[in-house]
Amino acid sequence: MTDAMGIFDIMLALVLPWLGWRLLASPNLFRAVVLFISLGLLMSLAWVRLHAPDVALAEAAIGAGLTGALFLSALRRLERLRDSERRLDYAEKREEEQNLPPEKRRKSKPVAYVLALFLLSVFLLLLGGALLKTPVAPGRLGPAVAGQMGQSGVQSRVTAVLLNFRGYDTLLEVMVLFLAALGVWSLTRVRQTPQEKVPGPVLATLVRLLVPLMITVAGYLVWIGSSRAGGAFQGGAVLAAAGVLLLLANVTVVRQIPSTLLRWALVLGPLLFLLSAVACMSIGGNLLEYPRQSAGSWILLIESATAVSIGVTLAALYAGGRPHEPAAREAIVDKSADTKVKNGEGA
Amino acid sequence: MPDTPFWAVCLVVVPLFFAIICFVRSSLVTFLGPLAAWLNALAGLGMTLSFVHSGPLRYAIGGWQAPLGINFSIDGLSVLLVAMTAVTGLSVSMYAKGYFSLRIGSAGEINRHGHQRAYFWPVWLLLWAALNGLFLSADLFNIYVTLEIIGLAAVVLTALSGKPAARLAAMRYLLVSLLGSCCYLFGVALLYRSYGILDMTALSRLVSPAPLLWVSLALLTTGLLLKTALFPLHFWLPPAHANALAPVSAILSGLVVKASFYLILRLWGEVFAQVLPFAAYVLLGVLGCGAVLWGAVQALLQKRLKMLIAYSTVAQLGYLFIALPLIRLDPGPSAREAVILLIMAHACAKSAMFMAAGSIFLKAGHDRIDDLDGIKEVLPVSSFAFVLAGVSLMGFPPSGGFLGKWLLLGVSLASGQWWWGIMLVIGSLLAAGYVYRIACHLLVFKASFSSRRGSIPPVMEWPAVLLAVLAMILGLLAGYPLGLLEAGCPVPIHACLEVMP
Amino acid sequence: MSTIFLYNFSGLALFAIGLHGLIRSSHLLRKILAANLMSSGIFLIMIVGAYGPDQALIDPVPHAMVLTGILVSISTTAVALVLVCLVQETTNRALLLQKRKREQRGRTDA
Repeated sequence: MTDAMGIFDIMLALVLPWLGWRLLASPNLFRAVVLFISLGLLMSLAWVRLHAPDVALAEAAIGAGLTGALFLSALRRLERLRDSERRLDYAEKREEEQNLPPEKRRKSKPVAYVLALFLLSVFLLLLGGALLKTPVAPGRLGPAVAGQMGQSGVQSRVTAVLLNFRGYDTLLEVMVLFLAALGVWSLTRVRQTPQEKVPGPVLATLVRLLVPLMITVAGYLVWIGSSRAGGAFQGGAVLAAAGVLLLLANVTVVRQIPSTLLRWALVLGPLLFLLSAVACMSIGGNLLEYPRQSAGSWILLIESATAVSIGVTLAALYAGGRPHEPAAREAIVDKSADTKVKNGEGA
Repeated sequence: MPDTPFWAVCLVVVPLFFAIICFVRSSLVTFLGPLAAWLNALAGLGMTLSFVHSGPLRYAIGGWQAPLGINFSIDGLSVLLVAMTAVTGLSVSMYAKGYFSLRIGSAGEINRHGHQRAYFWPVWLLLWAALNGLFLSADLFNIYVTLEIIGLAAVVLTALSGKPAARLAAMRYLLVSLLGSCCYLFGVALLYRSYGILDMTALSRLVSPAPLLWVSLALLTTGLLLKTALFPLHFWLPPAHANALAPVSAILSGLVVKASFYLILRLWGEVFAQVLPFAAYVLLGVLGCGAVLWGAVQALLQKRLKMLIAYSTVAQLGYLFIALPLIRLDPGPSAREAVILLIMAHACAKSAMFMAAGSIFLKAGHDRIDDLDGIKEVLPVSSFAFVLAGVSLMGFPPSGGFLGKWLLLGVSLASGQWWWGIMLVIGSLLAAGYVYRIACHLLVFKASFSSRRGSIPPVMEWPAVLLAVLAMILGLLAGYPLGLLEAGCPVPIHACLEVMP
Repeated sequence: MSTIFLYNFSGLALFAIGLHGLIRSSHLLRKILAANLMSSGIFLIMIVGAYGPDQALIDPVPHAMVLTGILVSISTTAVALVLVCLVQETTNRALLLQKRKREQRGRTDA
């Protein structure tokens, strides 16, 4: 058993960098993204091997699944934007050759490149040597966490760290996600999907079956997060996957969600988290200091709201732009102005 | 009267709350954004005042003391930087209010500008909250999260202008920021691995020279240098700062680069000061010299006003790095005081310059330096603010820049390493060169100037003047901030190591 | 010991490959993929640092940090991908080459 696991570890540890190398070296971007997704899945195997089930769940759902979906949709968008009908990889190669003057390419690049590569590898060797030589500090914060678990209100130690001991990090982290949604919305509007594109019967049935199941699973993950692997991030990710599926199937209801509702769903988690943090102060504690007896309920409440918002935010990131709002509908000029402003109008 | 921790919490919570509300009720953004700015400034003021009484202290978030939980460490340096952010942020906010109203009122593309305004406020408030959080936090990983918010928000703000050049600049900025955060995170991970602690004060007691420490410090510093845009890693800064909207440029140049420099100052000046060799400080100092020369020479060559100011930022950041070896050499506090003064003076002066340049741009319709002759006839207040801010950058006597450089010069002569002092003087002369170059055009007497637009509202002109005047008289008022700094150098940390296993 | 060594190596290699790719690749999409690889490598090293043969003694703090890190990296990736599409839209290619020339053009236009 241990031998088999040892061999498995060796293979996994070798395959991960190999896949990484392959995906960056691959001339075809689509292939690179597919390799990236499989790398993410293998990473989550590695997390399981390293006794990190929470991370494994999050990696499989977010690191591989949703990030991969984001890359694929960006790739499709890029290909659609490209004027020529050539495949992306050929066109890219051709342009590269056009843009770099050949003599420059031959002379100056390799010297700087080899030098940089040399410095980089020296540094990495030093890093690797130092990593090998230096022992890991014994225990670190593990015992401190274990000692305070009784006060945290939950049984899972990762959840206790995430939402109680270092809850402030998570509060700011939820804000990062909110900021990403803000950023994406500020940059583009959601792309138009052709109306006639109706999902096939298989996809429609799949959606009808899977989406309720996924919502249930998301709820379960949030609930179980207090005692075992799972929690707001993983639950939110499953919720987001349901959202992505709905977007893929082009269900009209999803496209017609009123923008105000969508905005409230996006901020529900951040707002509730922030308000609970302040509410703790008004009870008499510090920021985010839940009352000791009811800490579990506070955490569950925050986690549920956060999971909903994470799900909606990630799905919105996949949709890739702000929704069309009735107020802004009249300005069709806007879009062309957005892209064609060539002068320094916006100083 | 609320106490210091209350104000510290307000400084983070209030902007976050208003950012969310601004996003949900985007029609009220004109009212809510400035309101949030005033509340923030109030919190900054309250914090400074109560700090005078309370002195440095730590605040345990969630009630969990240092190694386990995340703590705010409130000392003189963080209070000063929070106050600087409050003053600069409030002025920029007032300017931004006028800026967006003016453009929405006059231009044909109401929608685009309305859209910019609707997203500027929430993103800027998030950025502000993250800046405050960064200055107050004592936890290395928490600082990573705030750095991420700052970087992402800065990129989004840069791209907001919608110009092709701004989009390219934002893309490059994002890639640099990604690389910087990765390096920083790696450094933090290695530190945690070998010391099992994330709190900076506790860490400073544990560190001892070890190979892994050097590697992680190299990673941390590289990441932060990328974000601070120290020469030769500055390549992303000028296009990003020059192509953003005017209030955004003021924020990026005045505040955002200071955040990562503050962290370098913390790490190199306090946490790892005992173990780092002097040669490392000299290396950063030499790079700083390079930045002063290269930035100033590039600034002299620029044709566009905003590009010139952006390159001047590269040069001015160089001074801060020249100060690092002097801080190490100096037995007293004066080099440290000098660098704080330089940070504050630059934040005020540079924001003022970018705001004035934005007004000039709107009025003239372009910012080609050669064609700005006589703009003072139509825009006297902004031109005055610009030149005044430029003079304080040069280091003309009563300004904060002057006092900072004077103190550094004194330290460099006293320590026998006079070459740093020579660099300071050369840098000031070059700065005088590029400020003179603009002043020649701005202040020339010429009867007619064809302006593109009607009047620039006072709310856009006076914040710039205010900041420029502040930068100018900072030298006279320096006693107050420096008194705060002395009040709180080493922070007592309660029961920090006792909780450790 | 050997597990720790193996995964440390793996994480370091991923970081190095990602760093190389981020600097060396020309296509922006590939640069972003490379940045994701870099952070995966760092996460691996963080989790390996928390690993111990006994499941009860595992330090949960790095796990929480990695969870936060995963969400941070998808946030940045999302914004970066939208920016790539915008760069492609405005310049017709998703590259950052020839930046000098473009900036100069922007300068004279403005």
